[in-house]
Amino acid sequence: MDKKYGVYICTGCGIGDTLDMEALVDVPDEEGVNCTTHPFLCSKEGVALIQKDVDDGKVNAMVIGACSKRVNFDVFKFDNCIVERANLREGVVWPHSREKYPALTEDQKDDEEHFDPIQMKAEDYIKMGMISVEKVTLPEPYKLESFSKKILVLGGGVTGMAAALDAAKTGYEVTIVEKTDALGGYAGKLRSQMPVAEPFEALQTPVVDAMIQEVESFSNITVKTNTIVARIAGQPGEFTVTFKTPGEKIAFDVPFPLPEEMLVDETGKELDAETAHAKYLEYNEGREDILQLDPNGELYGAVVLAAGWRPSVLEGEEFAHLGVDLADVVSNDEFEMIAAKGKIVKPSDGKEAKNVVFIQSPGKDEDDADFEYCGSVTSMVALKQAKYVRNDYSDGKAYIIYQHMRTPGLQEYFYKSMQQDDGVFMTKGAVTEVVAQGDALAVTATDTLLGDNIAIKADMVVVAGGMVPATKDDPIINLAYRQGPGFRDNDIFGQYADSNYICFPYETQRTGVYAAGTIRRAMTIEESIEDATGAALKAIQCIESANRGMAVHPRSGDMTYPDFFFQRCTQCKRCTVECPFGALDDDEKGTPKINPTRCRRCGTCMGACPERIITFADYTIDSIGSQVKAIGVPSEDDYDEPPFRFLALVCENDAFPALDMVGMNRMDYSPNVRFIPVRCLGSVNTIWIKDALAQGLDGAILIGCKHGDDYQCHFMKGSELAEVRVKKIGDALASLALEEERVAFEEIAIDEYDKLPGIINAFVEKVEEMGPNPFKGF
Amino acid sequence: MTEKYLAQPDLGFIAQVKGLGGDTLKKCYQCATCSVACPIAPENSPFPRKEMIAASWGLKDKLIANGDIWLCHNCGDCTDLCPRGAAPGDVLAAVRSAAIIEYATPKALAKAVNDPKKLPFLIGIPAIWVALLAFITMNYGDTMTKIFNVLFGDALWGRLHWNAHGGGHAISHSNFFSTWFVDMTMIPTATFAVIVFLLALKRFIVDIHANAVAEGKTDKTTLNYKELFQALIRVIPTVLKHDKFNECETNKDRATPHMMVLYGFIGLFTVTSVCFLMMYLGGYYGPYPQLNPIKWLANIAGVSLVIGSGLMIKNRLSNKDTLNTYKDWFILGIVFTLGLTGMLTEMARLAHLEYISYALYYLHLIAIINLFAFLPFSKMAHLVYRLTAMAYAEYGNRK
Repeated sequence: MDKKYGVYICTGCGIGDTLDMEALVDVPDEEGVNCTTHPFLCSKEGVALIQKDVDDGKVNAMVIGACSKRVNFDVFKFDNCIVERANLREGVVWPHSREKYPALTEDQKDDEEHFDPIQMKAEDYIKMGMISVEKVTLPEPYKLESFSKKILVLGGGVTGMAAALDAAKTGYEVTIVEKTDALGGYAGKLRSQMPVAEPFEALQTPVVDAMIQEVESFSNITVKTNTIVARIAGQPGEFTVTFKTPGEKIAFDVPFPLPEEMLVDETGKELDAETAHAKYLEYNEGREDILQLDPNGELYGAVVLAAGWRPSVLEGEEFAHLGVDLADVVSNDEFEMIAAKGKIVKPSDGKEAKNVVFIQSPGKDEDDADFEYCGSVTSMVALKQAKYVRNDYSDGKAYIIYQHMRTPGLQEYFYKSMQQDDGVFMTKGAVTEVVAQGDALAVTATDTLLGDNIAIKADMVVVAGGMVPATKDDPIINLAYRQGPGFRDNDIFGQYADSNYICFPYETQRTGVYAAGTIRRAMTIEESIEDATGAALKAIQCIESANRGMAVHPRSGDMTYPDFFFQRCTQCKRCTVECPFGALDDDEKGTPKINPTRCRRCGTCMGACPERIITFADYTIDSIGSQVKAIGVPSEDDYDEPPFRFLALVCENDAFPALDMVGMNRMDYSPNVRFIPVRCLGSVNTIWIKDALAQGLDGAILIGCKHGDDYQCHFMKGSELAEVRVKKIGDALASLALEEERVAFEEIAIDEYDKLPGIINAFVEKVEEMGPNPFKGF
Repeated sequence: MTEKYLAQPDLGFIAQVKGLGGDTLKKCYQCATCSVACPIAPENSPFPRKEMIAASWGLKDKLIANGDIWLCHNCGDCTDLCPRGAAPGDVLAAVRSAAIIEYATPKALAKAVNDPKKLPFLIGIPAIWVALLAFITMNYGDTMTKIFNVLFGDALWGRLHWNAHGGGHAISHSNFFSTWFVDMTMIPTATFAVIVFLLALKRFIVDIHANAVAEGKTDKTTLNYKELFQALIRVIPTVLKHDKFNECETNKDRATPHMMVLYGFIGLFTVTSVCFLMMYLGGYYGPYPQLNPIKWLANIAGVSLVIGSGLMIKNRLSNKDTLNTYKDWFILGIVFTLGLTGMLTEMARLAHLEYISYALYYLHLIAIINLFAFLPFSKMAHLVYRLTAMAYAEYGNRK
């Protein structure tokens, strides 16, 4: 592409009033780049003005000095053009006012004492934009060689069937894989399901049978029962799937990565790539490597993961006080199976069980936690099962002892109706003991609404086991990925299949695999069916995006992907290991293999690469590095007391919008900081920071999302990785006799914008106390 | 640690309380708004939240023997503020009815009083009895005089003779219904009521004490009847001034009519006692002249009773939020009829309308029998239970 540059500066929204426009226009002029100003650039006339230049072939790489790139992105969009936005509004004139930083008089302009921090910031941003358009290229979409639009649904329960039906109705070919010999899943084993319609009081006949019939009526749904996936290889759009029957051993069973302890030799030294690979082959003997595609495999475009849950098993010392070993103490799952067979009877002697106590939490200790994986569903199941007791026996009594009774939404009506049943008795409380007393049971509870220490005589006790997601025990998806067959970082999500529960429902940690139903969180049948629709739509979106060479999520529509300059690759495997989404595989030598449709374009690999050989078309080590270098660093040659300069690399997902909000709220902070938005803090390569300090900037701060328990990162690990990298830089700085406090790492949530000026100013003040960077001026 | 309490829900009790006007009892979800609203809830005891869960669990033992339920004047603040429509005030009222039935003997009569289907019998039997005695009075006066002479002779200075009245008036009700028959009916009826109450109280006091000890509502461990009696004396001014009743917000307008009825009854009780003593000890027979201070008191008390009970009826009819059950109408009906027929009888007598006066007197007598005979079984029994419970709360330093 033969680049023709142009700069357009808007003088509206206070930009022209605050800045010295003549001086600003001089910046591109000096570089010989045409600069046009307009009082209302995002207006029809303004856009037409640019479009005319584009149409006339005058410009195809432009800097628009106006508002933040987060607004008007659809307005300043020109086909086949590189567009860079210099944030003069939210980034310069809105946070920094002339009241605080008065414009210079003509005399002051030329002396060595006065300078205009606002103007300096604006000029830097124009320069940074200009160098950026010079360094980036237009992305070319990545096209897959073979492509399938078929959707694979794992699990034949209500969620899987609902997802298959939804996808099939839009015309997609769907295959349902069910490990048992029939469709239906757990919902097919119930006596009744919770109320789904007004007045939310009567139990419903399970919907399963009707759904199975509907599934069978669709010719574009194939059902494979007694089947599981041995492996899913490849990437979205071209997953090669090998099926097998459960328990079978085949060559295309998915191999597992070596456990960490096997990656080092006896002396604790890391194995070289070839030895490690040999060990890996030995470890997975009889199984083909992940890169070996099954020639008989079936091709699929995307996967819906609806593998559901299993009842949690409450046993052992921890629950001994609940009498879990007694015959008439059963789990809610076992109780459901008794109910499905007929009237509620005691497992010990088959006699009528008219007095049943439902225990919703372990109760033993002081905390009021429920059983693991319990939630609103287990609360409602207790209500439903209490109704079984009342329906079966007119003199039946059902007791529910809970710490939490959760009945969200319209299920509150169900709760109300059960509460008003004469034979249902509920209390908050902690169960301390369940013991046999003759052929009955005695339940003791403390801290109840009725007072301390109550005892209840019961025929049967039901403990509320939680719904354990299938992904806790088994990878299920069996991906032939170098990082392993399952979801690697699942402990962050309590073993649920998830990647950012709040922001990206259905997205798992593997692009192209969309979770629905109880594998994502405990859900009722009704919720699972609704959830399936979401996952089916995500699978379709994935297929249609992959087909166009675009990212699915969260950078929807992004056509860039990581590109490797392999000649310089040292096969260190950092990129393969650090990718939060397992997008990269490596071969036996350790050379990475890129799977673009698995990629979410966060750039974590780019940040990780010590050789800096990974680039994206419009986001490279050089494009950001050059912007850093474009920041003007005034020295003592320019001013008696030159202002400090700081670099801030901010996550464009949370921290950058927060910074825009600071601007919108006209909150001032040090105007000496230059902000560069990055795709994710994980993509920050430490070379940028080193370069910044080497050229005399006084400090650098990284601002990203929260991680840990309160994680909010779009890419799961980005800010966590960045923090580790910043710590490592500290050592390098020390060797240069620079204080490690010159580089800082901060976390911020998007709604905490009001804290941002404080964070920035605190950092600036701290560095100012240390004095200027000794490398300044070299 | 307190003892383990064995919770034994009684489905029959739940049904009973529902039937007595507490049909909302299962709606409570224990938010304790009622306890915050309740003017008589102690600082650290969630009254009536605890009573509500006991009711929805059907824990008859915890409620029937609970003295606190009698401290409630059904002011309606809790019912008004309850976010779930559980109407704690009405539930407690129903529980009180259940308690009245529980402590009453014979149970069958207690159940009949609270059963609308039995109303014809409750009115019919006294009606027949009064009619029979009126028939005897009017037709067999001579025979009765003879019987009296044989029976009593000169007892009480010869005052015990048939058909005695003050004279000087054209109409005397003893011509229609002998004063002796009145006393022969009313004294055993009232005695019966007193005995039923005494039997009930014997159990009631022991029970509420045991309950208060078990639930930590008192600092007393043993029951001292003397101190309890002293406490009873201490609470009487509170009762007379309606201090507790006046703490009510929602049903504030109920206090005054209730006070009128209470004072009306006190007045009439005093008048009746004085007349009784005057007759048997002083040989002074009614009807009293209008200038007699006793007559003034009688008239004022009668008017107070009619107006008070009339206002109660009016309030109940106009206030749509208040639950009105059969037991309420039964007792209100009796009190109002009693007062009204009493006053009208007197007016008819003064107007020389002999037979109209007799007819009204007939109704009046039936109402009195109903009041006395069913006192321990009707809502009116609250006067004994509430007074006792208030005395106990005072004695036990309720907390």
